[in-house]
Parts: sequence; structure tokens; C-alpha cells
Amino acid sequence: MYDHGIRLSRREILHNCLALGSLAVLSAHSAGEMLAAWEERELRKPTPPNELGPFYKKRAPETATLRAPGDPGVPLSVAGQIFDTRGDTLSKAVVEVWQTDHLGHYDLDGYRYRAKLSADDAGKYKFDSVLPGHYPDRVCQHIHYLVTAPGHKPLVTQLYFATDPVFEGDPDKNFNRDPLIHSRELVRPVMLAGDPKQIYAAVNFELCLERA
Amino acid sequence: MRRGLAVFAILMLLSPVLLAQALHLEKTISLPPDVIVRYTAISPAGNVIAAVCRDQKVWLVDISSATLSQTVDLGGERLTSVRFSGDGRLLAAGGAAGRVRVWELPSATLKLEITAPREVDALAISSDGKLLAAAPLEEAVEVWDLPAAKQLVKLRAPFSGTSALAFSPDGHWLATADGDTNIRVYDSRTGALRSTAGDLLLEAFSIAYSIDGKYILAGGADKTISVIDPGSGEVLRSFIKQDNPILDLRLSRDGKLVAAAYFNADDPSKPAPVLIWDLQTELPRTRILEPDVTPNGGEYLPDGRLLMTSGSEKELKVWSVR
Repeated sequence: MYDHGIRLSRREILHNCLALGSLAVLSAHSAGEMLAAWEERELRKPTPPNELGPFYKKRAPETATLRAPGDPGVPLSVAGQIFDTRGDTLSKAVVEVWQTDHLGHYDLDGYRYRAKLSADDAGKYKFDSVLPGHYPDRVCQHIHYLVTAPGHKPLVTQLYFATDPVFEGDPDKNFNRDPLIHSRELVRPVMLAGDPKQIYAAVNFELCLERA
Repeated sequence: MRRGLAVFAILMLLSPVLLAQALHLEKTISLPPDVIVRYTAISPAGNVIAAVCRDQKVWLVDISSATLSQTVDLGGERLTSVRFSGDGRLLAAGGAAGRVRVWELPSATLKLEITAPREVDALAISSDGKLLAAAPLEEAVEVWDLPAAKQLVKLRAPFSGTSALAFSPDGHWLATADGDTNIRVYDSRTGALRSTAGDLLLEAFSIAYSIDGKYILAGGADKTISVIDPGSGEVLRSFIKQDNPILDLRLSRDGKLVAAAYFNADDPSKPAPVLIWDLQTELPRTRILEPDVTPNGGEYLPDGRLLMTSGSEKELKVWSVR
């Protein structure tokens, strides 16, 4: 297997291939120019930003379990992987999330439904929570994200749910019923998972950061 | 002060005995049928109310005659922020598409027009009327030399942008309340960072310099008023925490009182009080909450009165608290 705990960047792989002759540059351009052009390629589009909102709270606890035992509301599991625009995974990314409880209330006095998550070696993150309620001053259910990674621009965005009643089953058509949703991409499908006694909503939300 | 107010009450939730003060109805201003007021800014000179209306015009209301004198606008752009200079001679307005206009009053002569990159969420004018600061949504704060119509600096927080601005009394410093919850103080003309107050856990929605420039008062989602040293960024102390976040702070001209307008975070449409705090004792003196009257603007006047407005259709009411 290739992966023995050493992770090479795309640039390093290309450098090695060129040096070993396993990759030949059949171009009028130099290897350096080709590498620069490769680096400039955007293999992934950056995740659309979305407003921070007024209730970000710093120093959130480092936990992936936002839902306490017995918490009312629909259990929710959110997972995803964090990339940059070249498609490299960001293992040093940090994801801060905050949301309302199932009734649409933010906890301003403590840290309920707030967390700080570190991506794993593959740039993956995951947390367990509940489906947020509708905050009275907003149209749609949402989870706030602040994503940071060394050498990359901070990403402030929000996750929305395709099952939100506001969309009436057609988020393609109705996503902009919330004037703050500028991109359909932020509205994610919701899958039902688990066994019949412990059904939960599962959402995948991949994130892509731009280089600084 | 866009939300929560009116009439005073004895505040039983707080330990000190509050001195009840009368809320007086000063004026009732009749509004034309097509004018619906969203919120107001009251000139610190006490002579004019700038009523931001749904037709995207700012109606200038002469308080003494209780008449609507004239309108200014942003060419139809939705108004997102309005601010008077400290002496009431200048009025600045910002819009949803980033347009900012500054007028000289009472003639309403246009003095400056600029375009910021996004919706303008906060404005400030230095007390000498020479500097304008504008905070576009999640973008860098811009500081402009008003007489020269020239941009001086851009000030960028690490992420998220700025929700409130305040110049020091001498205009040398500009404080910003940023979305990352920090309060930063910059040299207004060079943009050099002087200090960062990093101990606030939640965002401040309003900031104000003390009259002597020695302190910054900040209030926001943390439901308290924090007193900050602008030189070091240290949070020196915080007032008694309340049940609701603070939307707006206004200092009395003698520097002895601060009026804090609160809002209900669980449902912003519900009323919340205005508390008048004594800055020396750091205790509340007056609690103002009247279920039937929702305040939509407020300002301290040179004579010591706190003026507030309420009403949106048919009539605008002007209240005062001594």
C-alpha cells in the first residue's frame, strides 16, 4: 500500500515523478511552469460562504457529541471531509459548529449545541446533534460553520436541510425562500439511518477551503 | 435602540432599588398614509429625527414643529444603517448594495457618496465631522476623510467583519466590534492596530467610547456591558448580566449614564426592556418596558434627556426620560 503514514502533497508527488522519469513533460513549457499550472488548477469549487450570524461563541468545547442523552428532537449525525480547491484533504482543519436546539433557541449562557472539532488524518469530521429548530428571526433550519486550516482562508458558512418544510420538498426550486441562502449547494440531502429503534437523520457536508 | 421599550417600572429582578423616572410623551407626529417607519436615528442635537421608512427614504422630522421637513435616500437602495455625527450636523446612511451617502444638515446637501463592496451594517462619524467609518457586511471596515472625499485605510478582521463602530472623542482611534467577538482599536488614519480585547466570548452589537475617551463600553450577545481599556484591550469589569442580549448603547452627554436597549434572543419580535445604568455605581437606575409601545430609536440630548421614538404607521411618538 502507498499510505504508510507518510502523506505527500500533489506537488511532491509530481516532483518525485519528474525526478524519477516516471512522468515526462511533453510540452513546450518547463516542468516548473507545468507544476505551477497544475497548482493553479481548481479541482474543487470552494464551499459558498454564508453569513456568520450574531451568536458565534468562541472557546467552544472540543467534542463531537452535541446531543446529550435524552435530548428531545430528531437525532442528527453530520459528517464530511474537508478539502482545498486542489482536492487535497486538510487534516489540520478545525471546524466550529453552533446551532439552536430543536425549538430554535441558541444557548448564549453556555455551550449547548456548540462544538469545536478537529479533522482526522483524512480531513474528515463528524458530530452528533439534533435537527435544529427554526429560529424566529430566520426562515430555515441551519447549522453555522467556521472552518479554519493553516494556509487557507477561513470559511464561514451554514448547512441547510433539504427536508426543511420551508422547501416543500423541492429545494431546487425553493431554496431561496430563505433570503440568506444564496447557493443551493448549502442545502444538503437528509438520509434516515440507524435501526428501527434508533433512527437518526444523517447528513454529509463536504467542505472546500480556498488557499490564503 | 430598535426594540423593546417604554414606560418605567420598579425592577424587581435586580437587587438594587431602582429609581422610577417618568417617561413623558413629548410629541406625536402624524405620518402620511404611505409612510411606514422601520426605525429612527435621533440627532444628538435634539432637533431632528431621521426616520428610516419602508419606501427606502429617510424622512427628516423637525422635532420642535413635529413636521416632516424633507427626505433623503440612496436612490432606492434598501437602507441598512443611519447615523448622525455627534453635533447633528451630518447624517450618514448606508444601504444593502453598499452605497453610503453623507448629507449636511439642515440643508440636506450631499457631502459624500461612496460605494462599499457589500451591505453597510454600521457607520460612525468622528466628533469633528472629518472622518467616516463604514462596515460592509463581512468585509473590511473603510475609513474615509470626509472633507477630502478620500479613503484613508481599510481595516480587516480575521473573519466575519464588523457589526459596530465608535470613534474616540478626539477621533484619533476607531473601535470595531467584530464578528470573531473581539473589540479592536485602530489608529483612525493609519489603520495601525492599537489593541485587541479578546476576552469577550460572544459578539458585541454596540460599542461606545466614554466621554473622556478612557474606556470603551461594549454590549451584545453576552447580555452584559463590558468596560474595556482601549490601550491594552483588557476587559476591566462587567455590569450585572441581564436576561437578554444588548442591541444598542447610548451614553449621556455628561458621561454618567448609559442607556442599554435589550432584545429577546429567543424571539426578537417580543418586547425587551431598556435599562438606564449609572456608570459610577454600575447599577441600573431605571427599567423601561411597556408592552404596548415598541421603541425604534433613541438618543441622549445635551440637556440630559433620553429621547426615544415609537410607532411606525399613522404617527410617530417621541418620548423622553429625565
